[in-house]
Amino acid sequence: MLDTCCYSPQEQILIAGAGGKSNPHRNTHKRLFEILETFDGMPPIIDIERARLFTASMKTTEGQPLVLRWAKALRHIAENITVYVDDRQLIAGRCGTDRGRYGILYPELDGDFMGESMNSLAQRASAPIHADPEDVRIVIEEISPYWQGKTFHEDLIRTLPDDAKHLAYNDEKGHSTRFICSETASYRSSQQWVLDYAKVINRGFASIRAEAKERLDALDALSPTDMLRKKPFLEAVIITCDAIVTWARRHAVLAREKAAREQNPDRVRELLQIAEHCERVPEFPARTFHEAIQAQWFAQAFSRLEQRTGTIISNGRMDQYLYPLFRKDKEEGRLSDEQALELFDCLWLNMAQFTDLSLSAGGAATQEGYAHWEAVTIGGQTPEGADATNELTYLILESRRISPMPYPDLATRIHARSPERFLWEIAETVKVGQGYPKLFNDEEIIPLHVAKGADPRSAYDYTASGCAEIRMPNLDTMTSAGCQVNLGAALEMTLRNGRMKKHGDALMGLETGDPREFTTWEEFWSAYVAQQTHLIKYAYLNQMIIHELRGRHFAGPLSSCLHDLCMASCMDLHCSEHIPGGIELGFFDVIGFSTLVDSLSAVRKFVFEERRVSMDELIRALDCNFEGMEPLRRLLGSAPRFGNADPYADAIGKAVDRAAQDYCRRYMAETGLHIDIRTVSVTANVPHGKEVGALPNGRKDWMPLSDGSSPSHGADVKGPTATLISQYNSKNWDYTERAARLLNIKFSPKCLEGEEGSRRLVSFIRAFCDLKLWHLQFNVINRETLVAAQDEPDRYKGLIIRIAGYSAYFTELSRDLQNDLIARTEHGSI
Amino acid sequence: MPSYPDATGLIFNIQKYSVHDGPGIRTIVFFKGCPLRCRWCSNPESQSMKEELGYNRDKCLACGTCVRVCPEDALTLSPEGVNIDRTRCSMDQLCSRACPAEALTVYGTRRSVEDILNDVEQDSVFYARSGGGMTLSGGEPLAQPEFALALLSEARKRRIHRALETCAFVPEETMLRAAELLNYLLIDIKCMDSEKHRNGTGVPNDRILSNIRAVRAAFPSLPIHIRTPVVPGFNDNDEDIRAIAEFVRESGCARYEPLAYHRLGTQKYRFLGLDYPLGDKELSEERFERLRQIAASLCPAPHGEGAA
Repeated sequence: MLDTCCYSPQEQILIAGAGGKSNPHRNTHKRLFEILETFDGMPPIIDIERARLFTASMKTTEGQPLVLRWAKALRHIAENITVYVDDRQLIAGRCGTDRGRYGILYPELDGDFMGESMNSLAQRASAPIHADPEDVRIVIEEISPYWQGKTFHEDLIRTLPDDAKHLAYNDEKGHSTRFICSETASYRSSQQWVLDYAKVINRGFASIRAEAKERLDALDALSPTDMLRKKPFLEAVIITCDAIVTWARRHAVLAREKAAREQNPDRVRELLQIAEHCERVPEFPARTFHEAIQAQWFAQAFSRLEQRTGTIISNGRMDQYLYPLFRKDKEEGRLSDEQALELFDCLWLNMAQFTDLSLSAGGAATQEGYAHWEAVTIGGQTPEGADATNELTYLILESRRISPMPYPDLATRIHARSPERFLWEIAETVKVGQGYPKLFNDEEIIPLHVAKGADPRSAYDYTASGCAEIRMPNLDTMTSAGCQVNLGAALEMTLRNGRMKKHGDALMGLETGDPREFTTWEEFWSAYVAQQTHLIKYAYLNQMIIHELRGRHFAGPLSSCLHDLCMASCMDLHCSEHIPGGIELGFFDVIGFSTLVDSLSAVRKFVFEERRVSMDELIRALDCNFEGMEPLRRLLGSAPRFGNADPYADAIGKAVDRAAQDYCRRYMAETGLHIDIRTVSVTANVPHGKEVGALPNGRKDWMPLSDGSSPSHGADVKGPTATLISQYNSKNWDYTERAARLLNIKFSPKCLEGEEGSRRLVSFIRAFCDLKLWHLQFNVINRETLVAAQDEPDRYKGLIIRIAGYSAYFTELSRDLQNDLIARTEHGSI
Repeated sequence: MPSYPDATGLIFNIQKYSVHDGPGIRTIVFFKGCPLRCRWCSNPESQSMKEELGYNRDKCLACGTCVRVCPEDALTLSPEGVNIDRTRCSMDQLCSRACPAEALTVYGTRRSVEDILNDVEQDSVFYARSGGGMTLSGGEPLAQPEFALALLSEARKRRIHRALETCAFVPEETMLRAAELLNYLLIDIKCMDSEKHRNGTGVPNDRILSNIRAVRAAFPSLPIHIRTPVVPGFNDNDEDIRAIAEFVRESGCARYEPLAYHRLGTQKYRFLGLDYPLGDKELSEERFERLRQIAASLCPAPHGEGAA
């Protein structure tokens, strides 16, 4: 089982198997289950219409400013793409086919190899994606040829220096990622992002268009920069505002056509209401909660036609920007909670059907399955610092508790004065076992971002975005996707004088010397830091190149016109120049943090301190993947490990983190980008593991590295409180060059059973908040997992199970008792 | 008397995130040594006052390292794993330190009050948020009275919430000195019939019951939580449970909770080369539920409280 970021195997089982059958909420959520059944469990379909229309337009606009070309392409799409009003739906609009789940293509990104990828995707054993042969032909013959030599992907490969490419790709063309210091920019147009939906709902695009028109008219016609830079931007905004309104209105026409053909009078009413909404929003301010949801979805869906934003554009603080109209509708008797829940169901269904397709093998491996997380954020604080929870917060939690779909992901903002009810309802939702909500900690995130340069108001109003990241939608201006540094590789290079098992004699890192000649831990440590720093250097170098190139390949007139600073400066969000007033927050990921810390701990303790193992013996053991050397492997595994509140291991973790931040401090200023260390792997810990041979923590060749900042598989044997304390101990509180740290914790459902279980979970969440950790999410483990734990006890060592009057670690029990507990847990589980 | 932070004692485990032995999220310090010999004991490694060598065959790699390092030739390797001649073993711990697989372990470590409390205090934020703290358990903590009192006294100085899980088969003076330092007290009553109690545990119950009364009289505001391990063939009948529940009610203890018998400890008997005295008896769920209801009818759980 993979510890994944925002989806879990049990969620996949839910989406594939449950399908609404005999679900207790079926009667109260009829529309949800009826629509879900039309696509549940089906592989996604690739829809090429966006790619075809986008390409057709781009062919006709060569030589014009990029933002203008993008706006014209959006207009071409808006006028010509098939529009859909789904049966039974109350919220209209999709970006592609209504035959089930679907994804769309972005040839500007990877059009050069799109056709071949589509062919292989359908053949894929796990997570296949359906591509129509005729569509593949069109892509290969009509779309791809135009993009040959023009894609961002190709430009990046051309521009990266050879030594950087050597660490990032296995092949010359850069189709196969080498997970040593790899980039993630070539398979997404933009890093995760959030739109300012409040503007869409409260102002509407007519108002934004008017603002752009006014500014356009006020430009200095004699000013070269006004004419060259600002004019095209403002024209692009006007075209884009018109485009989204055109697209919305086409839905109104279709809804009226459908209404004319419809026999059922209830559905006729619904269709006519949809038509009215599509004629109103997103052009003008929404007047009702229902219109607000329609406007939000139109903006979100249209942004998907604009760009492949990594992991999909997020939903922002829905309980905040939807609240005024929710409240008004409730007060004026227009809306019941049941109706609001049904509208949420409809919105979630639209999201669940849109899949974030990764055509490149590298992209797919770091985001396994059909993962996408357009996180909804709730709770937290207002821009003024008061608690922000309201009735809608609880309604959204209820909606996500009931929904049998893993999408959308739910993020809850926790702070010191979060109401007890909020934490209790979070606990109850965690206990459902679907892996959400995840927790974001205001007490870490807000002060840290103020320290990084955000104004407090924007920081208080942050929203979760993507996986464990945050955005301040009118302040953040950096959208370049980051790089990944393989910490396991850095260690392997230290042990092999700059080489790696997988790559034989080829020099991959620095020649830091033969470690057999090191006599002290300090020598070994400084060699390690040199290798790590060497890789981080490439993360920075690649990032600078990516940032400079992106401005020539991507523009986002829609996302830009919703950003205060872009509108003020008339600059596109994706441009390479600094946008005045913005802060450029980026990051690089370190992959395999705990695997590394545990390995360094074993080397320090057994090789240099106790001298029970010689460096030569260790290297020979790693060479032969511990074959015939199980006693040595076990001994190494008994070193202090991260996640147990053990000061020895935690201090190493802190030093690793500090060494990375030292580099950032030194070189950040010259790049102008705040590129910080992030410890989030999503599923990238698996492919990164495939790059690295056996390591001194006892991990064997090519096995996954540890995920996020979570302890290594089975290493955390002191329980969940110790895991949180290790996180606290290993953070460098006096530095600010840190970004998200993702932490997974598993509980058995039995352990959280009943009111007492909820109370404990609430206390645990409060303590998490006190410890100022960034992020936390829970796996509440079921019977199937216990069976798996029997088969692979080493990977489930930390699993706590309630027995009778006490709890114990499951894998420390005898087989018989385990069987007993598995039988008990079935009726004990939630 | 040694200065308190330096006092040392023999403990065999410190367990974090314990949620069933006292209120909130707690850390349990397990003391070694117990005056009782309950036939159903689930912690056989807690009984002896001395360090003991445990051997887990499932973890053993049969690498022979332990045999090579043992100066007393107490260990031999056979196809079934390592055989321990416990009469020869001097408990020098050379084998367990050398064992790469942690198959040989020593139950019992001598640690100081300060060292233990530093460990316990790591989780202070969880205690603060959950109303938890430290619980002394075992074994019988008060079988090492000066050490247990030192630990409780230093913990009070550090303002750590203190619970004690005891069999109460200790001198009254020790019991009262401990109670003075406690916030919460957990005591087992196995049976009200003293002779039957002696058959099950090796000792009569009169001192246990008188200690409970003495603590009630001296410290009426200290909550006492009585528990009974419901053991098949010993006390899994209406009369025994009702008698205990009536005592709990009459003596004014805060709470009564029967605990279902389990066989968790059987594996550890094997590690110590011992036989499990109770064999493979089972307690049915229905029977336990009935006894639980009898207990609840006489001693209802305090308002607003489920398990501690």
